[in-house]
Amino acid sequence: MSTASIIVAIASFSLGTLLALLTIPVLVWLERRIAGLIQDRLGPNRTNIFGFRLGGLVQSFADVVKLLLKEEYYPSHIKNGRWLFMFAPIITFVAALLAFMAIPFADSIVINGEVLRVSPLPIDFGLFWYMAVSAMGVLGVIFGGWLSHNKYSLLGAARAGSMVISYELPLGLSILSLVITYDSIDFNAMVSYQSGTFFSFFPSWGILMQPLASIILIITLFAETNRNPFTVAEGESELVAGFMTEYTAMKFAMYFMGEYIAMNTASAVIITMIFGGYNLPYLSTTELLESFSIFSSTLMISIPLIAFIFVKWMRKNNRVRSTIKNDGGRAFETKVLTAVTVIMVILIESILFYLTYLSHDALFQNIAVTLFQIMIFVIKLMMFNIFFIIIRWTLPRFRYDQIQYIGWYYLIPLALLNLFITAIVVVGVS
Amino acid sequence: MNMNTCVSGITSHSVKTTARPRNSLMDKLYLPAITGGVKVTFKHFFTNLKDINAMDTMQYPQEQPTDISSRYRGLHRLTHREDNSIACVACFMCSTACPSNCIFIEATERLDNIDEKMPQSFFIDTLECIFCGYCVEACPCDAIRMDTGIFSLTGNKREDFVMDKDTLLSHKGAYGEESSCAK
Repeated sequence: MSTASIIVAIASFSLGTLLALLTIPVLVWLERRIAGLIQDRLGPNRTNIFGFRLGGLVQSFADVVKLLLKEEYYPSHIKNGRWLFMFAPIITFVAALLAFMAIPFADSIVINGEVLRVSPLPIDFGLFWYMAVSAMGVLGVIFGGWLSHNKYSLLGAARAGSMVISYELPLGLSILSLVITYDSIDFNAMVSYQSGTFFSFFPSWGILMQPLASIILIITLFAETNRNPFTVAEGESELVAGFMTEYTAMKFAMYFMGEYIAMNTASAVIITMIFGGYNLPYLSTTELLESFSIFSSTLMISIPLIAFIFVKWMRKNNRVRSTIKNDGGRAFETKVLTAVTVIMVILIESILFYLTYLSHDALFQNIAVTLFQIMIFVIKLMMFNIFFIIIRWTLPRFRYDQIQYIGWYYLIPLALLNLFITAIVVVGVS
Repeated sequence: MNMNTCVSGITSHSVKTTARPRNSLMDKLYLPAITGGVKVTFKHFFTNLKDINAMDTMQYPQEQPTDISSRYRGLHRLTHREDNSIACVACFMCSTACPSNCIFIEATERLDNIDEKMPQSFFIDTLECIFCGYCVEACPCDAIRMDTGIFSLTGNKREDFVMDKDTLLSHKGAYGEESSCAK
């Protein structure tokens, strides 16, 4: 164990924890604001600390405080299995959190000939880990609904159980055809494979090489995360709140946060498996390292441009209408945020300038490329999370028998067909 | 003519069967329809993201509603006569008409020779009130009105929402006549 390996392990572990846990308030904020914008409303934008609203992000932290201070109500009619009742939300939360840990955030960095994985769990069977652990999440839902001794909760749990048998098989089969294509169960190897091209033009992303399996994967992962259009276990229009009817305060918040982490994990798996992971199309890690000066010059031009567009957008939108006199400190906030953005841009620019033209240390270039890949990963992750949210506010909910029907009559045969064709093509090519 | 002849009159070839529209392949695929839906929501999202203040949303406490008309049923008031004394004659018509039983009146004799009766106390529990306006319709003396234009009512405790006679008399009408029109 060298010092570098310990540092990389600690850094990637804390990055993984931050990405999983710190995205929850961001995702709740995104969900509420995007829902508002889609429905021509504003969404929460009033809560502030000393006039700093960050576009309403502070509201999420106020929500956390609210949930922590709520009365911890325990329904007295639950006699048996009280510990499991308390434990059920933790199962869902932990399963979603652990499943995220196998995702690589950047390509393995080579320091002094040592290959170090940038992933909280440095394992080369990440896909198995993901499938095994994330499938546990539904157990928390079933236990919670079952032990609530409540008709609505029980129906919700039963629906969650029926969901499992509808989506797990097509999910596994579609993943299997992707595994055959990439010839690996290592997430990192999958991403490296996808940085190449096929037919010498198209980037060999899973969505282009295996369109059918990719669509089935996306649909089934929507079902696994209990997101719309598959929120039958919650079913607030007919089942009050489904499996979480009897849950209050932080017990409820565990389910709530578990749902968002699961969404985050599903997005991470989708982009890792079929959208090229932390890589941009046509740009593999070796290419980035070989032509570092071109890559960093492109970054040095594009980062100020992006920052300029962001500041312009903020100056236009972080203010109240001209008919309202009191802007609640928005002008001051815009000034401070603009200054912060400018300072950050100057900092990044100077670091890139130093790395490109003054120093030619391979290690620092390596780290710069890794940071760039992490940035790409986070951007892709957030874009896919936004896709999840937009889908939620677009589609109505399926009936649970319709989900079974789709799963058994359409998705499983299609996934099987796709698996056969993939196997034949792979055998024929090799 | 009994039931049987009636039924036997309908033969299989006289019944017209209309073919129900079947779902086409495009409908069964769901994905084209989902794409169409996402296109709509994304358009709303993106248009609003570009210019948040162009949205048709009222930023309420700073922006007050402008569509409160003279027919809006706001908070109640008790009107005065021409000589500035209370118009109410404590006939209990309003509390009888009230569907939520939120008007509580105690009558007393009126000693100033203007009328025979007046309310000693007049309470409206606005937490019970459903703002239906039946009391206004029932009043024979035009003594109670809901034309104050007050649409928002706040308080720190329940007692703040029980309006007594003096409070109700102090409310000013926002539209129309200030005093009672009863003859």
